[in-house]
Amino acid sequence: MSGLLKMSSPAFTTMLKREWRLLFLDPWLCSLATWVPLVLAVVVCSIFVKGIARELPIGIIDLDHSQVSRAIIRNLDASPALQVVQSYPDVLEGAAALRAGTIYAFVVMPEDLERNTIRGLAPEITAFVNSQFLLIGKVINSALVQVLSTFNAKVEVKKNLAMGQPVPSAAISSALPIGMQITPLFNVNTNYAQFLVSAILPGLWQILIVALTVLTFAAENRREGLQAWLADGPIRACIAKYIPLITIAWIHGLLFLSGMYIVLGWPMHGSWFVLVLAVFLTSCACVAAGSLFFLVTRDAARGLSLSAGFAAPALAFMGVTFPVSNMTLPAKIWRSLIPSSHYIEIQFSQVNYGAPFMFVIPQFKALVCYWVLFLVAFALVTIIAARGKNTEEVV
Amino acid sequence: MSWWELCKKECAAIFKNPAILLTIFGGIVFYSFLYPLPYAQQIPRELKVVVVNLDNSQISRRLERMVDACPQVQLSGRAHSLAEAQRMFVDDKLAGIMVIPENFYRDLLQNRRPTLSFAGDASYFLVYGTVLKGMTGAAQTLAAQIKVKRMVLSGQAMALASKQYSAIRLNIFSAFNETLGYVNYVIPAIFVLILHHTLLMGAGILGGGQNEELRAGKGDFYWLKVSALKLLLVRSALFVGIYWVLSMYYFGFIFSFYGIPQIANFSELNLFIVPFLLCTSFLGILFGLILPRRELATLLVLLSSMPLVFGSGFVWPVSAIPEGIVKVLQFIPVIPAMNGLIRLNQMGAEFMDVYPLWQQLWLCSALYGALCWFLLRRKKQANLTII
Repeated sequence: MSGLLKMSSPAFTTMLKREWRLLFLDPWLCSLATWVPLVLAVVVCSIFVKGIARELPIGIIDLDHSQVSRAIIRNLDASPALQVVQSYPDVLEGAAALRAGTIYAFVVMPEDLERNTIRGLAPEITAFVNSQFLLIGKVINSALVQVLSTFNAKVEVKKNLAMGQPVPSAAISSALPIGMQITPLFNVNTNYAQFLVSAILPGLWQILIVALTVLTFAAENRREGLQAWLADGPIRACIAKYIPLITIAWIHGLLFLSGMYIVLGWPMHGSWFVLVLAVFLTSCACVAAGSLFFLVTRDAARGLSLSAGFAAPALAFMGVTFPVSNMTLPAKIWRSLIPSSHYIEIQFSQVNYGAPFMFVIPQFKALVCYWVLFLVAFALVTIIAARGKNTEEVV
Repeated sequence: MSWWELCKKECAAIFKNPAILLTIFGGIVFYSFLYPLPYAQQIPRELKVVVVNLDNSQISRRLERMVDACPQVQLSGRAHSLAEAQRMFVDDKLAGIMVIPENFYRDLLQNRRPTLSFAGDASYFLVYGTVLKGMTGAAQTLAAQIKVKRMVLSGQAMALASKQYSAIRLNIFSAFNETLGYVNYVIPAIFVLILHHTLLMGAGILGGGQNEELRAGKGDFYWLKVSALKLLLVRSALFVGIYWVLSMYYFGFIFSFYGIPQIANFSELNLFIVPFLLCTSFLGILFGLILPRRELATLLVLLSSMPLVFGSGFVWPVSAIPEGIVKVLQFIPVIPAMNGLIRLNQMGAEFMDVYPLWQQLWLCSALYGALCWFLLRRKKQANLTII
């Protein structure tokens, strides 16, 4: 009997062909598999196309109206990160503009700024920076510090020279006793685009694969029901569904990677082999997770809602915006359940410093663990298929 | 059908639908605890750095201790050469390197201006900023101490010298998020997005599901049997009502729970929330009318989340985003809502400051409401036989 069944069941290649055809016949699935990822990637990249935040609007309150205060204002305006857009008569108006969000910061030049500077009384300039927008606030903060320390150095060197220090280098050294050289590693011009996009794209990729997987399984449910699909051997049918999905996910991942490190030409120091392998394993992990979300709920809407909970917050847990070492234990546990957090460590270690394969073995092990999900999925489809047969017999 | 009957039918359609319940209530509660989870510690602290001390004098060791003592960084080890430090940096996943050059002490004594070198992992922006702030802060303190000492040696009084080491002092206050906490930064914005997204999904699932029923010819199609205006009013009022309660859960309970500032007064907050929820409900209902299947609204919402977060202006300044993208995004209710609510509730803006955003939300509501009404009427006419 079972032999007869096997003879009548279609060849595996026929099943594969059918899966590919189904994917490309459904307009929604076809879009998800082809142009949607490209459009989303282009949108995200163009949001960050400028790379570095420039000309952030700030306000000025000049209570001194002296040469010194005007010189500082000119220096602030000349800083690439800042742009002095408005001068306010008093602090109250400046504060109102800061609260309204029209400026990101305002700087107060106190009365007698010039007189006290000449007398060496070290007057104090006060700045209020909007730190609600943390990243923007930090950019402004460091620009302000830089402008003022350069200005101070100039004033002090002049003073030291005037007071009789013979050599300019000694005058500089008295003003700034210690020199500091700062090297940003792996991201030489501290380009935010590179920093954020290289994490956003893998996050987006994960969302796309999980959603595509759920919808592909749901499409089967909509056609003739799961039982009909699983009738010729549930595990075979399931594998035939996985192969095109994993292939598409793999291609998407590689396209995203090559977009960043070949087309945009960002530096990449590691091995492409390791990356290609990592992208493959992550594709498998995401497809496996997506299929489980569907098989557990057996409903596209609920499956997608679960996927949203799983994949949408993944970026926050990657440890790129906020360091993993400072996450609490529950956060670390949730993080370890998401494929993209393991993947991003491999990507960063390869791209940034070309770490040897040994270095990323723990991450690879974690990604391989997701293969267990395939076994769970096989068990689920077998149960679903068996249940279908039972009901048929009853009928 | 009377208003009351329609209300009951709509309530049943929402509350007896497990997918909607999971998305709206499950989602809201789940995300309210999941999203703040990675940022529970608010600020990165004690990031590990390695020091290469080629000087080994008393003052360079003091600098080491000063670096170790600052809250941002922690000395996790010493290396004898730059190469060794680089190796440790990669192997132990450290965040920064500090190099104290040879003859640091002697150069300082001879007024020759030695140079300290700092390096940080700039692929992690926040880590980079924090590590450098810690290390350069310690070095600047040391430099100031040296200047004060020199001034005292040249005959200035200590009390004056400790004030005058710098020509002009700069005092920076962080407004609104004084502690620079990450929860206070991310959560107020993300929660508006979650309210928006789950509402779109919920309304989309409801409408898309009814489209499926219509195609299959199953169900009683109560929603086609009443006037389009009546249905729209009841449905949007129900969603606004449900989401008003959920908004209070977020802006009230959860904000207090995480200690996030709530500056806006209750009436102004509500004045702003109402058009936001109405606009989002209409957009969700519109999704439900256009999309043939119920899961597709969820799909659209899921895919749009990343571009919306990063295009909204709270992470990346609007002035740096291409104008075309900014303009298109203005049509999505979450963008004006996020900007308005952060200003009102986090920054203490006057209502007049957010008035343009408030108007924008009402205009979008009118636009989406009119579109819904038009599509619903067309759908009714196309299905006259069923009714």
